[in-house]
Amino acid sequence: SESVPSEDHLRTRRSVKKSALQDLQDHQEQSRKLSEDESNLPALQAAYRTILRGLGEDTERQGLARTPLRAARAMQFLTKGYHESVFDTLNDAIFDEDHDEMVIVKDTDMFSLCEHHLVPFYGKVHIGYLPRKKVVGLSKLARIVEIYSRRLQVQERLSKQIAVAIFEALQPEGVAVVIEATHMCMVMRGVQKINSRTVTSTMLGVFREDPKTREEFLSLIKSS
Amino acid sequence: MTGGRVPTVRHKAEATSHHHQPGISFRPTRKSDFADTVQQQVKHRRRQPASMNGVCNQSMVTGVTDFQRFNGFAEHPAESKKAMGQRALDTSRKESEDESKLPALEAAYVTILRGLGENTDRQGLLKTPLRAAKAMQFLTKGYHETVYDILNDAIFDENHEEMVIVKDIDMFSLCEHHLVPFFGKVHIGYIPSKKVVGLSKLARVVEIYSRRLQVQERLTKQIAMAISEALQPIGVAVVIEAAHMCMVMRGVQKMNSRTVTSAMLGMFRDDPKTREEFLALTKNK
Repeated sequence: SESVPSEDHLRTRRSVKKSALQDLQDHQEQSRKLSEDESNLPALQAAYRTILRGLGEDTERQGLARTPLRAARAMQFLTKGYHESVFDTLNDAIFDEDHDEMVIVKDTDMFSLCEHHLVPFYGKVHIGYLPRKKVVGLSKLARIVEIYSRRLQVQERLSKQIAVAIFEALQPEGVAVVIEATHMCMVMRGVQKINSRTVTSTMLGVFREDPKTREEFLSLIKSS
Repeated sequence: MTGGRVPTVRHKAEATSHHHQPGISFRPTRKSDFADTVQQQVKHRRRQPASMNGVCNQSMVTGVTDFQRFNGFAEHPAESKKAMGQRALDTSRKESEDESKLPALEAAYVTILRGLGENTDRQGLLKTPLRAAKAMQFLTKGYHETVYDILNDAIFDENHEEMVIVKDIDMFSLCEHHLVPFFGKVHIGYIPSKKVVGLSKLARVVEIYSRRLQVQERLTKQIAMAISEALQPIGVAVVIEAAHMCMVMRGVQKMNSRTVTSAMLGMFRDDPKTREEFLALTKNK
């Protein structure tokens, strides 16, 4: 299971045994180059055409003529997180600020793809952290959400990746991430429960250890 | 929508000249026995190559006024036009063949996953091609269902000529342009002409047509046409309000935008008061 990274651990990543999560993260980060996207399109298009025919549709009709191309591009967009890295996005926007009160960015819309069925799931992400002399540009928190959500994901892993990324970049006192999402794979197919939502959370640092801090965060993100 | 194959088969009844008379609400002139016409149209059913757009390219007005002249399914020109593209797609896929198609779909999904830069051997993705193929088959299962099979038993003779509305039917469909879901609510209203239909059958009609690769405009029209053909009511109204993930998750990325389409047939089209009553009753407070 994932343990809370300490400061020394973070500064010398290479010398520490990698956890399964870090392994996955390292593989996925920049596993796809933006420049290669164009060259991957023909293979994706052919695959989509096979799928359309296998479903019993007529790929020659006007509405579907360019669908393989559009669907391939759409899929590349929905998984563009694979060619983005957190370090590139965050490096410039970390500021020294003498602030040690909770900072929360809530109700960030999130759209991701379920890695099991390739069907979207979407919802809201609430992020809170307690800075230790370093604050980050607020939109960068939303950008981190974008990087990790625009992939084939599992909601549990998504919330953990967001939390660990912020923790590693800022080394704060604590990070808390809560995601509440609707899974189309449950709504459109399978059990077909329309109103059900899945809530996952990751608490690191002081949010994990101190119940009062956690409580303050949870009450602040509650919708009024 | 333009394009698609223009239907070249004309029904024999259309050869006689009729003048389009606007303003007349359509109402069958003779009662016809539903069961008989089903037999007839089974005999007359023709297989045409798939050309979905043919249905929508025909002028709707013709369909409405033709109802006055023709009775039952077999003689209705919209039915023969429907044969062009619709019926070919209604059963373009047999449920029994779904299993055999899975390997091809799985291979396609493996290609897609690799092309996106993922590692198909990791634990979370091992069975994803199979699951995604099955999910896609489920989301397009409307291709092996026909309205006739579902509606045949549940049409009842009832002396009721007031509006019947089934609203807030959840609808989930796939955008045919990006293969990304769009979903929302369907409101259906009709004024029966001596024939009412089981209420859940209206929701089932929505299911058949929405579980396909669709365009919201066409979906609305198909639902309305199916109900008007099956029941020959005084009027049918269908309103769909949906959110398109292709607009929300990608492209313009406008989270709160909704698309509303409607199809009004018969009295709902001709009489503004009737339309107003339907729209007022389906407004969500």
